[in-house]
Amino acid sequence: MFFLRICMMAIRGLQANLLRSLLATLGVIIGVSAVVSAMSILEGANRDILERFESMGADQIMVVNGSSQRQSRHTVLPSLTPEDAEALEELSLVKAVAPEVQAPAQIKYFRKNRNVTILGTTEAYAQINDYKAAAGQFITHEEVRAERKVCVLGHKVAKELFGEATAVGYRVKIRGMPFHVVGVMEKKGFLGFREVDNQVVVPLPTAMKRMFGLRNVTMITVQAKRQDLLEACIQQVKRTLRNQHSIRAGSDDDFIVFTQEQAKEQLADITKIFAVVLYSIAGISLVVGGIGIMNIMLVSVTERTREIGVRIAVGATRFDILRQFLIEAGIISLLGGVLGVLLGLAFTDLLENITRVLHTYTPSSSIYWALIMATAVGVLSGIYPAFRASRLDPVEALRYE
Amino acid sequence: MIRTHQLSRLYPMGDSVVRALDGVDLFIGRGEFVSVTGPSGSGKSTLMHLLGCLERPTSGTYEFEGRLVHRMTDRQLAAIRNRDIGFVFQTFNLINRTSALDNVAVPLIYGRKRNARAAARSALEKVGLGNRVRHNPGELSGGERQRVAIARAIVNNPGLIFADEPTGNLDSQTGEQIIDVFHSLHAGGVTIVLVTHEMEVAMQAQRIIRMKDGRIVEDRVMDDALRGELRQLGEQASGAATLGSRVG
Repeated sequence: MFFLRICMMAIRGLQANLLRSLLATLGVIIGVSAVVSAMSILEGANRDILERFESMGADQIMVVNGSSQRQSRHTVLPSLTPEDAEALEELSLVKAVAPEVQAPAQIKYFRKNRNVTILGTTEAYAQINDYKAAAGQFITHEEVRAERKVCVLGHKVAKELFGEATAVGYRVKIRGMPFHVVGVMEKKGFLGFREVDNQVVVPLPTAMKRMFGLRNVTMITVQAKRQDLLEACIQQVKRTLRNQHSIRAGSDDDFIVFTQEQAKEQLADITKIFAVVLYSIAGISLVVGGIGIMNIMLVSVTERTREIGVRIAVGATRFDILRQFLIEAGIISLLGGVLGVLLGLAFTDLLENITRVLHTYTPSSSIYWALIMATAVGVLSGIYPAFRASRLDPVEALRYE
Repeated sequence: MIRTHQLSRLYPMGDSVVRALDGVDLFIGRGEFVSVTGPSGSGKSTLMHLLGCLERPTSGTYEFEGRLVHRMTDRQLAAIRNRDIGFVFQTFNLINRTSALDNVAVPLIYGRKRNARAAARSALEKVGLGNRVRHNPGELSGGERQRVAIARAIVNNPGLIFADEPTGNLDSQTGEQIIDVFHSLHAGGVTIVLVTHEMEVAMQAQRIIRMKDGRIVEDRVMDDALRGELRQLGEQASGAATLGSRVG
């Protein structure tokens, strides 16, 4: 009850000087809104990326070209081949293998055309990613082996070119070459980092030999038989690939193997760096905000010297005065914190609506922390002004003009 | 109620020392109406600050209702100011941004009193401002503001009220009304110490203490003889003032 009364007293004091109180807390408002919006963007991006990793499946092993040895002086030539994929298929712990190449290309149906990603792969791709055809079917083993010029359209591609009409059985041109549409895929959004709805799948050898003239694949996705055998499976894959590439003992791999789990860990590391940078900026802006509050509180103490004298004369103890100014500083900065959170949320919302790609997410804990930090900054920067107020000599304070 | 012995207050002023109060022995009984008068710099304000527990003496003793004030801690002094003493100042010293009611309630808040609003309202009624509780000081006349200040001084029902030039910022008619408020408080048993340099105001008290250079030079109970003497002094003073203004 007593505390409430003091708070009311402080709020009235601030009301009387609303504009100044707002200016005092401007630093906190800006600091908090920056933190909240940056947090929201970071957390949103983080979740987006995580979701894509999740879509990769926990039982998958990704193999890409490159050397894990960072010091490697010469650029690593692509080394993975379709034969590697075939060799991996033989392994005891491997359930399925999908090698792939990808390249951008234009697809045309009569007068309509569209830029898409061409994915050359095998029938295993759909199975591993649990990616189903909405009409017709995915490419088959026979079509892959026979290097047929068939294609499967992603959901968006089919819609753009054919509208609601059926695409299966029709002929489209990719890079000027005629292809038979054998299937249209379900709507899926993202698989890994690829927007599969805007993708056209063709048999791997068709893409490599007939379309792009490639000798190496860009990636091989391996599905382990059981998730708990993932580690053992990775060892099998590595051994086999080293064998295939005739790498001598002691030399480095010319490929990189990673799993969803490892990718997530790396992401967490990157997020941590961002977070450190973010919190440093937040810290600096809050310190600046604190200085603003201290400044205004010092002015306020000077201006209200007489009032302080009166309060002491009617029985306020030094501690009462100290507490009053601390509470005022705390309330100012809490107010700044609340305004900052609102501003930050509004900014985040605006950003999401303008860009339409950026997904943001504001963890409620970040709001609590922003408010707690803002209040703490206010109280801390109020200590010195409040202390000055509490040490005033009542006789002099009452005479102060 | 008040008993001092060789009460002194020194202020260092550069190399020298100002004896604002120089060995004052004083007794004020319960229920007295005393005025303290003297020219500016005579020490009357310092005396009030010491007696009002706003500062401590450099030397000497001060007993307030049997308690030794000169030995008290800050916290104990604050408690005495809060419960047993009320102050009324020349410039009212109200907090401008809050209502009359909230101004009056300030001592109650520091005294951790319940029902502060009701008590504050009844104090305002006592000084005849029952209809002005919601007004801010800026919306009140000088006399009304001083009444609010008096209400604040009496809200904790203290036994002693110090008034420092309470009519100094008011016209004479309003000043008289304020003095009337003090008279009625006095009639209710409150001890009143009125500090003023205006003879006419000082004459309202039962006892007049005259100070000069930090000492009490005269301490007389008001009787008709003194009243006449003072009136004459007052007329002379105002005559001198008119003369002065003419010369100026």
